Amino acid sequence: MKYRALFLLSLRSVGRNMRRSALTAAAMALGLAVLIFSRALADGGHEQWIDSAVRLGTGHVAIQAPDYLETGRLEHRLDAQQVARVTKALADPALSDRIRMWAPRLTVTGLASSASSALPVHIEGVDPARERVFSTLPGQLTEGRYLEPGDRLRAFIGSDMAKRLSLKVGDRFVLTAQTASGDVEGQLMRVAGIFHTGIPETDDGLVHVPIETVRKWLGAPGAATSIAVLLHSSWQTDNVVKVLRSELDGSRGIRVMGWRQASPELDSGVRIDNWGDYVFHIILFAIIALAILNAIMMSVLGRQREFGILQALGLTRVETGWVVMGEGLFLTAVSGLVGMVIGLVVTWGFFRHGIDFSSASSSGWSASGGIINPVIVPIFRFSQIVLSVASIVVIGTLASLYPAVRASKLDVAEAMKFEQ
Amino acid sequence: MSEPNERSDGRAAVRADDVWKIYPQEPAPVEAVRGFTIDVATGDFVAMAGPSGSGKTTVLNLLGGLTRPTRGRIWVGGEELTALDDRHLARLRLEQIGFVFQAYNLLPVLSALENAEFTLLLRGVPAEERRHRVQELFAQIGLDGLEDRRPGRLSGGQQQRVAVARAVVGQPALVLADEPTANLDSASSDALLDVMERLNRDLGTTFVFSTHDPRVMERALRLVRLVDGRIERDERRGPVPAAS
Repeated sequence: MKYRALFLLSLRSVGRNMRRSALTAAAMALGLAVLIFSRALADGGHEQWIDSAVRLGTGHVAIQAPDYLETGRLEHRLDAQQVARVTKALADPALSDRIRMWAPRLTVTGLASSASSALPVHIEGVDPARERVFSTLPGQLTEGRYLEPGDRLRAFIGSDMAKRLSLKVGDRFVLTAQTASGDVEGQLMRVAGIFHTGIPETDDGLVHVPIETVRKWLGAPGAATSIAVLLHSSWQTDNVVKVLRSELDGSRGIRVMGWRQASPELDSGVRIDNWGDYVFHIILFAIIALAILNAIMMSVLGRQREFGILQALGLTRVETGWVVMGEGLFLTAVSGLVGMVIGLVVTWGFFRHGIDFSSASSSGWSASGGIINPVIVPIFRFSQIVLSVASIVVIGTLASLYPAVRASKLDVAEAMKFEQ
Repeated sequence: MSEPNERSDGRAAVRADDVWKIYPQEPAPVEAVRGFTIDVATGDFVAMAGPSGSGKTTVLNLLGGLTRPTRGRIWVGGEELTALDDRHLARLRLEQIGFVFQAYNLLPVLSALENAEFTLLLRGVPAEERRHRVQELFAQIGLDGLEDRRPGRLSGGQQQRVAVARAVVGQPALVLADEPTANLDSASSDALLDVMERLNRDLGTTFVFSTHDPRVMERALRLVRLVDGRIERDERRGPVPAAS
């Protein structure tokens, strides 16, 4: 009952100076809307970035032999039996709704040489049918075609490599690498197609060749250095890793990693970008907090006599503070609700098809091994929305705290003399 | 000089024993109240008069627990308020003391009725009983029909009557009024005094007020004159009425 009286006072006090309350609430609501929008945009950008990088790289989940990530050597590969076990685990119905595609890869470093030159390359043996869905590389085709099932001695090479080795579609060149037995052997290949990603190390040094050709050439039948798993969303990574680890429990020599572990460079890139966002949000929050603090302090300083009356009528100091806290919390609740609705409506209503940033860069964007699509589609995450609203509530509460303490600590007899 | 303490029914509404209030100031501390001792009987109607700076408001603040004495003891309704912590003192103010201020001091965001019932709301009195008690009181003091008006839309006299209603509606042991007629014209002052007298007589509410107003002094049953923080004269002018 007592707190009903305090709430009534808080509510009415908010309405007393409607313009000031509305401006404060508007600042908070706008801040929250910007926060929700910017988080949705950042999450959308990150998801695209991660998706692109994992498609070209390790997948959201990488299943490898224990030391392959550190050494990159063929001797640290999954043998045919292990690949079969992993394949069986991936077929678990419990994972079917999360896994979009998986692809075995047999990757070694080697040398590509043509009549004119030679350069070091990553030779990636791939399953053409799976890779066509999995990788973004087939989509970067500039000449010729991507690998097809049944291809044996065809290769898909980067534009810079083609330039440096003076290769065109249909030209022959030699790939040389160390085999499973330790010998160095060459394999004659023919250029099926050329791609251009805009990522120098990829355009310069990545070759896709059929995995069966690589297995046979390097003497590693049925083997893979990595089985890359593509999920519907990067957020499912930890869960899928957990399930797969459980499925493959007891399988010695099989390591299951999420993309953060398998692609530390990408993980760092996303984290750094997130921190940049957090700094922006902290500045935004500080401005919002000052707006609330200013509004409530002005209100408190002008109502000292009123707080004196409340205490004279029988409110304790703490209860007097709650009247002020109530005003701040009410403003926070209203602006939190309005800000959330504005944030969701604006983001979904206007930007659900994405925002095109291509005018900001003519040459395309890439980072941490991923191609960043200049059209960024915002993504809502329930946890982010909850976090954003919670942040505003915390800021509103903290900003109300000081004025509340001020109101509770006043000298009643002195406050009664205060001219309002 | 102060006269001996008196009791009408053996139970004092308020009692102060050698109360001092000293404000530490430079170059010398200010003794606002010096050895104030009084015993106010339940149902009394006491006026404290004295020139500006004589300590009237400070005495009321001390009796109401709004400020703590430097030394001395005060009892209200039998409870020693000088021994209470802040929380219990607030409860005592809520349950035992009503205040009427010179500047009315109604809460501007509440209507007349909400102002009057505010202490009942804080005390957890059910809505129906609150409304009934306030409306009955409003009818007695001529505030009928003004229940929904905010203080800004009431005259000074009406605001002060709402303040009186707020002070007495909880039937406190003591109502302290600091120059309640100071901001009112003579007609409004007389009307307010009529109200306070009637409440004193009918409900047995004990009133202690500070005043400069000769009309208030004339109506007081007991007149206490303060000079320089001390009681200079304590004069009984009529018997303490028994509550009807």
